[in-house]
Amino acid sequence: MEAYLNRGIKEIIEEFPEVEDVLNDYDIGCGPCNVGICLLKDIVAIHRLSEDQEQQLMARIAKAIHPDRDIRVPRVEKKTEAKPKEFKYSPPMKKLVDEHVLIKRWIALIPEVAKDLDLESEESRRLILDGIDMIRSYADKFHHAKEEDILFKYFDENSDILEVMHADHAHARSLVKEMQDALEKRDRKTIAKNLMAYRELLTEHIRKEDEILYPWMDDQLSTHQVGELFSKFDEADQKIGVPTDKYENFINRLENKFENQEG
Amino acid sequence: MEKFEGCPGSRMMRFNSRNENDAAPTVGKIKSQLAQWPIQLHLINPAAPYYQRADVLLTADCVAYALGDFHRDYLQGKSIAIACPKLDQGQDIYLEKIKSWIDSAKINTLTVLIMQVPCCGGLLNLAQQAADTAKRKIPIKYVVVGIQGEILQEEWVAA
Repeated sequence: MEAYLNRGIKEIIEEFPEVEDVLNDYDIGCGPCNVGICLLKDIVAIHRLSEDQEQQLMARIAKAIHPDRDIRVPRVEKKTEAKPKEFKYSPPMKKLVDEHVLIKRWIALIPEVAKDLDLESEESRRLILDGIDMIRSYADKFHHAKEEDILFKYFDENSDILEVMHADHAHARSLVKEMQDALEKRDRKTIAKNLMAYRELLTEHIRKEDEILYPWMDDQLSTHQVGELFSKFDEADQKIGVPTDKYENFINRLENKFENQEG
Repeated sequence: MEKFEGCPGSRMMRFNSRNENDAAPTVGKIKSQLAQWPIQLHLINPAAPYYQRADVLLTADCVAYALGDFHRDYLQGKSIAIACPKLDQGQDIYLEKIKSWIDSAKINTLTVLIMQVPCCGGLLNLAQQAADTAKRKIPIKYVVVGIQGEILQEEWVAA
């Protein structure tokens, strides 16, 4: 089992698909991750399970890997009331979580945007251009840049979890670049496909950050570092100068448009 | 613990004698982490050099007596001021001094340590009022200490 602790999760799931279901039972959603290089031991550590749950999880994984062996899976008392997880963030981390809200509102609109896309109309092309601008300026330049240029520097950038985050950012950028090229060629199919891929990627990426990465980072940061991060984020926001109102208005307009169409 | 009736802030209580295992370790001297004087909020100058860009502790008077590891876990590396939200007069001056820490001394963070008794919440309210009226925003954390020295709550306040 020791050897598996030091192997990437995607590799383990590919070899033993049942491991994905076991992880899902503990709300560890590694299955859809595009990268999957995190080591099993790091995944278990970062999800901060109780000691009992961790023992049970490891026993179930061991059973999935070695079905022929007699492995005892300890019972864990289930809590009678299932409450949604509540996360408490430090102010700089809360800022990043709050920025996710606008990105999630955009992601929620993507299926409507991708449906019946007509690139011959000026209005549709403008919508895609505005959407690309929102991703590039708000999600990437304003939000991801604060993570990459400031937050991640406080941690080991070669760690698996940060490599996964960097890979997600790079993947998002390549999807957007392809969309921009496709728009020039009036290639409706590629734009619709990439919009949906972006939606899937960012949905999972944001969940990983809100529920796993940021709470874990908060545990590691000292009070002094939290204060530093807060000031640096503030300085970066002023320096980058992204007009957040513009993107809120864009999302509000789109939400109203699709709401009215439904009505 | 024997309990007596009255206001929770001033109610008499006697804790059961702690056993030997609870005694403070006696190996070596515990070094003070206090790096400044004065410390009482009326006496301090908020523009003093040790407050500039510092991580500041604003501590209710009783905290350091209740919290066994106060110096090592909280005071180390920080500047401090102490106050009693229940008994101290002239708290409008306190408000101005906290604002001055935030705006002029440009402190990095403010950690408010209070006891679990209800009146101690006044110190956190004071810090939040000052932060709300200050021009700069900073992260504020609060720590609630039980009367037997246990940490009951430790959380960041939304900036």
